[in-house]
Amino acid sequence: MKSPLERALRVFWLLLMVFLYAPLVVVVLFSFNSINSSARFAGFSLEWYQRLFSNDVILSALANTALLAVMSTLIAVVIGALLGYGLYRYRARRMAWLIWLIYLPVIMPDIVFGISEMTFFITLERLFGVLSPGLGTMVIAHVTFQVPFVALLIHARLLALDPQLFEAAQDLYARPWQRLRFFLVPVLWPAIMASVLLALTLSIDDFVISFFTAGPDSTTLPIYVWSAIKKGITPEVNAIATLMIGSVFVVALISLLLRRRSLTGRHLQ
Amino acid sequence: MTRLRRDSLHLLGTVAPGALCILVFLVAPSIYLMGMAFLSTDATGLPALPLSVQAFRELAGFGFLGWSPGNLYTLLRSLWQTLLATVLVILIAYPAAYYISIRPARWRPVLLLAVVVPSWTNQVIRSVGWMNLFAPGTPISDLAVLLGITEPRMGLFPSQFAVIVGLVYNFLPFMVLPLYAAFERLDHAQVEAARDLFASPLAVFRHAVLPQTLPGLMAGTVLVAIPAFGMYVVTELLGGGKATMIGNLVAQQFAAASNWPLGAAGALIMILATLLGLWVLRRLGRRLGGDREVVI
Repeated sequence: MKSPLERALRVFWLLLMVFLYAPLVVVVLFSFNSINSSARFAGFSLEWYQRLFSNDVILSALANTALLAVMSTLIAVVIGALLGYGLYRYRARRMAWLIWLIYLPVIMPDIVFGISEMTFFITLERLFGVLSPGLGTMVIAHVTFQVPFVALLIHARLLALDPQLFEAAQDLYARPWQRLRFFLVPVLWPAIMASVLLALTLSIDDFVISFFTAGPDSTTLPIYVWSAIKKGITPEVNAIATLMIGSVFVVALISLLLRRRSLTGRHLQ
Repeated sequence: MTRLRRDSLHLLGTVAPGALCILVFLVAPSIYLMGMAFLSTDATGLPALPLSVQAFRELAGFGFLGWSPGNLYTLLRSLWQTLLATVLVILIAYPAAYYISIRPARWRPVLLLAVVVPSWTNQVIRSVGWMNLFAPGTPISDLAVLLGITEPRMGLFPSQFAVIVGLVYNFLPFMVLPLYAAFERLDHAQVEAARDLFASPLAVFRHAVLPQTLPGLMAGTVLVAIPAFGMYVVTELLGGGKATMIGNLVAQQFAAASNWPLGAAGALIMILATLLGLWVLRRLGRRLGGDREVVI
């Protein structure tokens, strides 16, 4: 017998799911609409997807989005993991300034972050002719806001470890590279994978910082959608959005499977 | 090489790339922007010498035509919309987090993921979803017309209502996650004891549940209120001109209106307000939580 409170909560939860998923479902649904309307569904059609894949601007935006996400993630995971490790290894030195520095990109409003970088890059270009706005500056900006999240994840994982493990590795005369190869990397692997996923989603999810650091030839999908919806919502916009929503669900599924596997793995041990 | 020296080199090797990245590409640009707020504008709206506080005077509303309250209203509106959205998020997140925490353990990760996944999609895409739902002629808009909330043949956006919905939609997961973490550690014996003493549901919540979940609530409030105050995308897409916040005001100065020092002054105010907000929330957390450490 369920209590009234529990039954009320169940209804509440269903309403919450409707609230959370209705906007996404509507986007997916109307991307298959045969007419250009987001009020009436007239019939199923793949027309908008065909247009999408024959539009060079959209294809290059897709390529830019992927390139930006992958490049910034690779750089940020390496730099961030080093930072997280340094923070843990030298925690006795009380580097409070470093903690502040790491939290700064996290608390800074996106829009201030983006505009700071934009004015900075524009000025650098004018004075020295370097770092003109484009994919390069976007990668730099993305790395800068990804690094703190990676560092904090790695740092948290290291804090959760038994400190004696480090001494054991040292007692067994492991050389630094051996410590890295046979101890740190295996032990940190789940945290590294989590960092990769987090950094990727941070990059794909970002619009504001990309928007302000982009150049004329480095349009990404969110920037394309932004300029397209200024002219009104079309099924084509919904089709692009559907592709992006689909990729997010793939990542969510992967993370759920990874979690399941790591749980069963731990169980077996 | 001495051990200390080797240690220092090692420290430098691990920490320096990340620290330099943040120093060069975040701290330096923001100091540059802050400095710009104290310059005057040239004919094209770009910053120029001499130093002046002209940008702050303009931000406060003093222009060629005397004083106008527009910018002040924008600042107040930003605070009001942030407050409203945060309160609504708290009201929705509490039952949601509690519900997840009383489900069987193997279902909890899935339910949490169900709350979080929409926030992994791009901000712009999420707003596109609401633009679809709130467009003129959709069932929701028709219902609003029937109820007399909107004019016939109008949609529910652009409006302040749409902005608040968008803000709640964007930041809900940031409140559910820390609250859920707090509920997972909840000492149910305290709740039972309060019930046995015939405390009303409200009293049970006030005296048994709230103090225990306070750290989660404070952490969630920071995670919601800080980015909501700096919101740009939702207000721009769902709000039109009626719900602009300070982020939009700042951005305008670097685009169409082109007055960099004025924009920089606005950005400086945003950073100060953010830091002040963080400080107040920390103080509040300490005061409410007594001697318990409130983690933010």
